[in-house]
Amino acid sequence: MSKRKLTIALAGNANVGKSVIFNHLTGLHQHIGNWPGKTVERAEGTLHFKGYTIDIIDLPGIYSLSTYSLEELVSRKYIVVERPDIVINVVDASVLERNLFFTLQLIELETPLIIALNQMDIAKKKGIEIETEKLEKLLSIPVLSTVAIKGVGISKLLEKAIEIVEKEEKPNPVEIKYGEEVESRIAKLTRMVEEIQFWYPPRYVAIKLLEGDEEISREVQRIAPKIISTAKELATEIEELHSHSCSTVITSERYEIAGCIAREAQKLVPPIKPPIEEKLHNLTTHKTLGYPIMVVLLLLVFYSIFAFGGYTSELLNDFFYNFESFFKGLFGTGVAGELVWGGIIEGIIAGITIALPYITPFYLILGILEDSGYLSRIAFLMDNIMHKIGLHGKAFIPMMLGYGCNVPGILGCRIIETEREKLLAAFVTTLVPCAARTVIILGLVGHYIGIQYALILYVIDLLIIFFLGRLAFKTLPGEPTALIIEMHDYKVPHLKTALKQTWFRVADFIKIALPLIVLGSLAIKLAEVLNLLEPIATVLSPITVMWLGLPAITGITLIFGVLRKELMLIMLATLLGTTNFALVLTPVEMIVFTLVAMFYIPCMATIAVLVNEFGWKKALFITAFEIVFAITIGGVVLRVLTLAV
Amino acid sequence: MERRTKFEGSELPLTALRNGETGIVTSIKAGRGECWGFKRRLMDMGLTPGAEVVVVKSAPFLGPLEVTVRGSRLALGRGMAERILVVRKKGCLREN
Ligand SMILES: Nc1nc2c(ncn2[C@@H]2O[C@H](COP(=O)(O)OP(=O)(O)O)[C@@H](O)[C@H]2O)c(=O)[nH]1
Ligand SMILES: [Mg+2]
Repeated sequence: MSKRKLTIALAGNANVGKSVIFNHLTGLHQHIGNWPGKTVERAEGTLHFKGYTIDIIDLPGIYSLSTYSLEELVSRKYIVVERPDIVINVVDASVLERNLFFTLQLIELETPLIIALNQMDIAKKKGIEIETEKLEKLLSIPVLSTVAIKGVGISKLLEKAIEIVEKEEKPNPVEIKYGEEVESRIAKLTRMVEEIQFWYPPRYVAIKLLEGDEEISREVQRIAPKIISTAKELATEIEELHSHSCSTVITSERYEIAGCIAREAQKLVPPIKPPIEEKLHNLTTHKTLGYPIMVVLLLLVFYSIFAFGGYTSELLNDFFYNFESFFKGLFGTGVAGELVWGGIIEGIIAGITIALPYITPFYLILGILEDSGYLSRIAFLMDNIMHKIGLHGKAFIPMMLGYGCNVPGILGCRIIETEREKLLAAFVTTLVPCAARTVIILGLVGHYIGIQYALILYVIDLLIIFFLGRLAFKTLPGEPTALIIEMHDYKVPHLKTALKQTWFRVADFIKIALPLIVLGSLAIKLAEVLNLLEPIATVLSPITVMWLGLPAITGITLIFGVLRKELMLIMLATLLGTTNFALVLTPVEMIVFTLVAMFYIPCMATIAVLVNEFGWKKALFITAFEIVFAITIGGVVLRVLTLAV
Repeated sequence: MERRTKFEGSELPLTALRNGETGIVTSIKAGRGECWGFKRRLMDMGLTPGAEVVVVKSAPFLGPLEVTVRGSRLALGRGMAERILVVRKKGCLREN
């Protein structure tokens, strides 16, 4: 019997339980990556069931199928172009009306559809009783109730999905009727759209054209500009009738329908939920208590990530260096041996021992913070302050994590919606002094000049973040930032899902970052083996010596620092022939060196994630900008300090 | 034909409501230009004209607003909230 292939897509609002259902269905056969060329996460998995090989896609959580965000665009394109055999719309039973607003749009897309009415347990606690059969009848779509975290209803859901696909009849959901003024114009436009070849359903195109959907308008404009001009006329007519923009009218009416269905299908009874979630919410968003709670929690997170990271990093390091003599025995201590060990193997070790011990717990904790609902509360508390640098509250998390290591910081930017804000937040995060840079700041300036000077450097760093953040915010085109985020009820995260997601995200990271880190390491080793370091130091000397006033050999440290910034000090000591830096460097030189080291380039692992998240061009631009910026500021500070001293 | 007449009372920004007060959305001020995307997003989250919205509280130092609308709880940046126009919903036993 040959196996038949099926594709099932999970779609729905954020935090409705898609990922938990996805993980129940796919077990360990999954892959998390990015949608091609996008910073939107794509989770895909396979499952074998009843002789089928089923491909399951977990679409990003969205509230609409308009094209406000990349997530929405990606989801809509996927459903229309790739045509999954069936879409499972996961619905949060405790916020039925808003979830149905999304369901209605899926219906308009005319895709085969079933509904997983999830979080029935929470709805019940809140005093919301939903009659599944009634909802099913109202929508003419199969509705199955589930409690994803307990695995209740998942296999029935899968069976139903396959049953629908096997029936092979066209889906026949309820017709969504707008008000007469709108409906007549939709009908008129639909007839026009039916004349042309287009991959969206005609009625959907008509509605979206009236709503002024940019993507669809653009594509129709190419094929049939006449339709666009008619659509504009009709939209204006509706606007005049209702004194609201046409898209406002259509969205309102769609919400009316969703509300109507929700009210029919649900019954409100007094809640039996102990108000603990509510108390927790009030406490964590409290105008005074909220902040200390946040600080303590974040310090705890911070501490546990770095305690775990530091410990495992060292353990792994020791473990790998046990093999040093073995490898050197194998490849000899000649050029080949040097390259294999010092270039490739040490590169791999650097990647594994620096990045992994930190990003693994980071992914886990970030996932748990997000799923539980606390992340949105932090955004609520911090929005005001982050606004000053043109970012909204959510961007606080990546920045804070950046103080430990920029890599998880930049990965954390995924929680931000728009591409522009993601990039802004990532840029700001690369300016945050990570633990490795802290080693230099404290080890050099703090130790030899005085801790107050080290603190001044931190303050300067904050000012620069503020200044450059504002600058980037002003120059990067796009809409101003505003926080719009749902603070859903606190929930107990599903640990198994969180663990699995962490595992597959880490795998994705290794695949992308490790080759880059190894390549960088190999290049530097090659330069060393070929005796190019001295010449490079000489070539750099106009910058290091003349502009920055540093000894020429610091050029070599700066190159090595690209790989591992925490080794810069050790390197400097080796090259200068002493660990007492006070003997060989003046205080001004120390400050200039530290300043440059703080800003001059993100390390290799950071560049790798930048490439992964934003592509080569933007990663290189940020890198180039920071090199120029660091050198400039180093030289300027040197001159100011020499004048002052 | 004037649909607006169904909203009694004067329009004010959502930020003018006191904690605990309910408003009915009348419109969102945003041109086709800069804030268009956010207007879409607000409406997609349920803040359409006619929707009832309760202001729960606001974060300190003129921070974002916590509101509930259509059974869900949202945090709205203050700049955005100022663009949402509402009329105050009156209790039936209130003065005038
Ligand atoms: N009580 C309860 N919690 C659930 C249920 N389904 C999901 N959750 C929780 O809701 C949160 C969001 O789930 P997730 O699958 O990540 O949502 P997604 O954003 O749609 O992928 C997690 O903390 C889950 O543990 C459910 O049926 N009951
Ligand atoms: Mg998810």
